[in-house]
Amino acid sequence: MSRAFWTGLAIAGAVLVETALGYLVPAPGRYLDPFLLVAVYCALSGNEVHGMFAGAAAGWVQDVLFGGRVLGLSALSKLLVGYAVGLGSGRFLIATTAARSLVVLLATVADALLVQWLASVFSVEAAGLSPVALASRATLNALAGGLLFALVDRRQQRWA
Amino acid sequence: MALAVPARRSRSLLAGLVLAHLVAISHQVDGGGGVSLLQRGLLGALSPLQRGVGAMVGGVGEAWRGWAFHRETYEENRRLEGRVRQLETELQARSFQAQEAQRLRDLLGLRQAVPMDTVAAQVVGRDGMPWFRTLTLDRGEADGITLDAPVMSPTGVVGRVFAVGPHAARVQVLLDRDGAAGVLVERSRVPGVVSGQVSSQAAGAEDLVLKYVPERADVVVGDVVVTSGMEGIYPKGLVVGRVRFVGKGSGLFRDIRVEPSARFDRLEEVLVVRQAKEPFDTPRSVE
Repeated sequence: MSRAFWTGLAIAGAVLVETALGYLVPAPGRYLDPFLLVAVYCALSGNEVHGMFAGAAAGWVQDVLFGGRVLGLSALSKLLVGYAVGLGSGRFLIATTAARSLVVLLATVADALLVQWLASVFSVEAAGLSPVALASRATLNALAGGLLFALVDRRQQRWA
Repeated sequence: MALAVPARRSRSLLAGLVLAHLVAISHQVDGGGGVSLLQRGLLGALSPLQRGVGAMVGGVGEAWRGWAFHRETYEENRRLEGRVRQLETELQARSFQAQEAQRLRDLLGLRQAVPMDTVAAQVVGRDGMPWFRTLTLDRGEADGITLDAPVMSPTGVVGRVFAVGPHAARVQVLLDRDGAAGVLVERSRVPGVVSGQVSSQAAGAEDLVLKYVPERADVVVGDVVVTSGMEGIYPKGLVVGRVRFVGKGSGLFRDIRVEPSARFDRLEEVLVVRQAKEPFDTPRSVE
């Protein structure tokens, strides 16, 4: 219950960040994906099931409020990314900020490639991401994710 | 930290969820026209959240601009030894009001210029994914907005409604790769189709591509492009943009880029067409 509540709150926070970015940053330069950060953090701090559900929920909200004509592409992509990260976090020690940033970087690349692949499978016309844009997106998400996860963990430790 | 979950259980859950998603996506892709119940329900449930957030962000922005303005005014007043502080404050406050009034006047002017039943809507959300170009509006079915309704700004065509909830609508802007509109070059009457580009990050990605214009067609840089009404969505004669580049294409057609008239990243209010009052036959500019 508590975990679901915090996940919901994090997704609401992601909506706030994404909406604010829409007002502040022009579309081509908007690389940060707060919904992916929610999915990855849930997977890292929980397990593959938590990551999977958090990814699906965050992806659906992203699809409905910010996505294209067909819903579910981002949800399915983030579901798979959440599952994979959760599975990885159960097998490897991913505790340092650098390791977590690397996970976010890989998750961003995987998410982008999955969305583009799913769009092509379902014949949904979607603009492509250039390698430079993908690298910028992954780097920015990795930096933001590493910083954010460290802040959230510090706050949790203070509360505990 | 991580809780142990039986691997078999998690794999079964994964398979079930992936299958459910594939079915949900396939259903939408095969469904053809119309807004799915899923989309309508989810948009109805989630749009109040986004509307609230949008209002909050807008409020914070206004407060920030207000703060910046007050600071600027304060410095100015210090230079003038405080003589005109109140006057300057009032002037700036009126300037804000004047800007807003100008935007609304432009919108009203457009509303009166086009012979259609329209409804004004606020933009509460902008595209958050690099693959799609969309907007979220604070008006929906309850305000008479229907699927495929054209959306306009005072400077040009914005796009069409692709999902409607009770109090929200989502708009596919012309820049989206999946979006397209039948157009005419106003001067030479050459027909074509405009759509978004393949890559959202490429140089000039904020331009539209004008497709299917033959090599020998009379199109030059600066030509105004207007809707042709051929696709049955956009009324004929609305300004789409201006030709920015004309080059040699790889096949039978020319490579033409159009600079859209609508400023997609700065849109705050738009007009949504509810129903055409009369045919919009004569091409006209709304600029």
